[in-house]
Amino acid sequence: MKVHVNLDVCQGHAKCEDLCPEVFATDAVEGKCVIKDPEVPAGLEEKVRLAVRNCPEGALRVSNAKGSK
Amino acid sequence: MTLHFQPPPPDHVPPELIVDFDFFKIPEGVTDPAEIWHGLIRRGVPKIFYTPHNGGHWVFTDYDDIVEGYRNYEIFSTYQTPVPPIEPFPVMQPQGVDPPEHNVFRRLMAPMFTPVAVRGMVEELEERAKGLIDQFADKGGCDFISDFAAKYPTGTFLFLFGLSEDRLPEFLELAKVFFRSTDPEERAKNVTDIYAVLEILFREKEKNPGNDIASAIVTARDAEGKQHPWQDILNCGFLLFVAGLDTVTNTLAYIWRYLATTPEARQHFRERLDDPDAFLRAIEELFRINSVSNLFRRITHDVEYKGIQFKQNDRVILPNTLANRDPDVFENPNAIDLDRTVNTHVTFGVGPHRCVGSHLAKREVMVSMQEWLRRIPDFQLDPNEPPSGVFGGSVMGFESLKLVW
Ligand code: HEM
Ligand code: SF4
Repeated sequence: MKVHVNLDVCQGHAKCEDLCPEVFATDAVEGKCVIKDPEVPAGLEEKVRLAVRNCPEGALRVSNAKGSK
Repeated sequence: MTLHFQPPPPDHVPPELIVDFDFFKIPEGVTDPAEIWHGLIRRGVPKIFYTPHNGGHWVFTDYDDIVEGYRNYEIFSTYQTPVPPIEPFPVMQPQGVDPPEHNVFRRLMAPMFTPVAVRGMVEELEERAKGLIDQFADKGGCDFISDFAAKYPTGTFLFLFGLSEDRLPEFLELAKVFFRSTDPEERAKNVTDIYAVLEILFREKEKNPGNDIASAIVTARDAEGKQHPWQDILNCGFLLFVAGLDTVTNTLAYIWRYLATTPEARQHFRERLDDPDAFLRAIEELFRINSVSNLFRRITHDVEYKGIQFKQNDRVILPNTLANRDPDVFENPNAIDLDRTVNTHVTFGVGPHRCVGSHLAKREVMVSMQEWLRRIPDFQLDPNEPPSGVFGGSVMGFESLKLVW
C-alpha cells in the first residue's frame, strides 16, 4: 500500500502526524504533511487508513501496489 | 405569523428563509451558550437561513456548507466581515485577507506555530501552568476563569511576544475590556490602547530584536527586501491578541465544566497522564464538542449558491458547533465519545485560514489538563454558587466558573 498527500490541499492540521507518527510528520516551515516513505510499512495499513479518514482537508489518499484504489 | 423587523430584511431574501435569531442573546436559564445554535436545529430551521438581527446576516447550519464557507474564498471572503457591521474595520493580518495576498503574513507566522515549534515550547507551557495551579491547589476551590483560564493564554501571549511576566495585570485588563465590554466608548478607547501598546512593543523589538514572534514579524522582509507596511505589522499583532486569548479561555472553561461534572472523563484522562499521544487523541473529542468560535464571511459578488440568491456584502456566519454535530458526518453526534476514531471537526476552521495557532492551542489545553489532574485529580462545580453567567457572539463562553475540591 502507498500513501500520497496533495500539498495544495493540505493545510497543516497535523492529524496525520498525531495518528500515525511512524509514517507522517510535518515540516518546520509551513507545518504541512511530510510522508517519510510513501510505501506503508507492513502492519501500519490500518493506522494509515485511519489517518486518511481523519484528514479534515481530504488531502491524503492511499493506493495499492497495482495502482488501483 | 408576520414578523416585524427594523430594518426589514432586503428584497432578495425569500420570506421562507427568514428566522428570528440573535446570536448574542442567551435566554434566561440557558447554561450552555452553544444551545442557542442547537436549538435552531431542533426547531427545524432551513439549512441556510437569514436573520435580520445584528445588521442582518445568513447562517449556514450543516457541515458541507460551513466547510464551503471556509474554503471558497472567491465567494466567501474574510475581508471586513464583522457582524454587526463595523466599517472601516482593521484588516486583520492574515485572517482578514483573502488568498493569494493572505499568504504573505500566513507564511511569516507559520514557522512559529508548527507542531515542531510548539514541541519546543512545552517546557515553558508546563512551568507556567504549574505556577498558576500551585497558587490555589491547596485552597480547596477557585474561580477557574479569573484564577486560571484567563491568565494562562495571556501569559502565553506575553511569552510569545518576548514581554515580561510583570505585565500580566495590564494585559488581562486590556483583554477583559476588549472581550467583555459592551460600552462603545470604552471599547473604542480600549482598541486605541491596545494599538498604542503594540506600537511601543514593535518599535522596541525593531531596535532590539529577540527570539520572539514580535521580533520575527517586525524584522521580516517582503519579496523586495523591505519591511512590511507598519499598519500590517500592528494589525498582525492585534490579530494574535484577538485570536489566541478568549478562544483558549473559553475552550478551557467548557472543558473544565465538563470534567467537573463527569467523573468518568476525569478518570479517562488521569489514566492517560503518562501517555501524551493517547492524551492528545482523546482531547480531539473535547475540541469537537466544545467549539467556541462562530466565524464570519462576506459575499464578494452577487451569486447564487445552493439555489439561493446572495448579494454582494451579505454576511454569513459559520457556527462551528453546528458543523461539529452534523449527523451526516459524525456518528452519534451529541454523544461525547473519548474513543471516537474518526473526527474531522472544524473547531480550528479548514482551508486557507485554518487556525495557525491550533497546535499551540491544543498544547495549552493538554498541558493545563495534565498539570491540573496531577494536582487536583477530582473537583466539582461549587454547589453553593448559582450557574455561571454566559455570553454568545463570535466567541461563546462563561463569565465565571466556581470550582471546589
Ligand atoms: C481553542 C482555541 C482556538 C480556537 C477555537 C481557534 C479558532 C480559529 C479559527 C476557527 C480560525 C479560522 C478563522 C477563519 O477562517 O476566519 C482561526 C484562525 C486563526 N487563529 Fe485560532 N483559534 C484558537 C487559538 C489560537 C491561538 C492560541 C492562536 C495564536 C497564538 C491563534 C491564532 C490564529 C490566527 C493567527 C488565525 C488566522 C489564520 C489565517 O487567517 O491564516 N488561534 N482560529
Ligand atoms: S491531516 Fe491532512 S491537512 Fe493535516 S497535515 Fe495531514 S495531510 Fe495535511
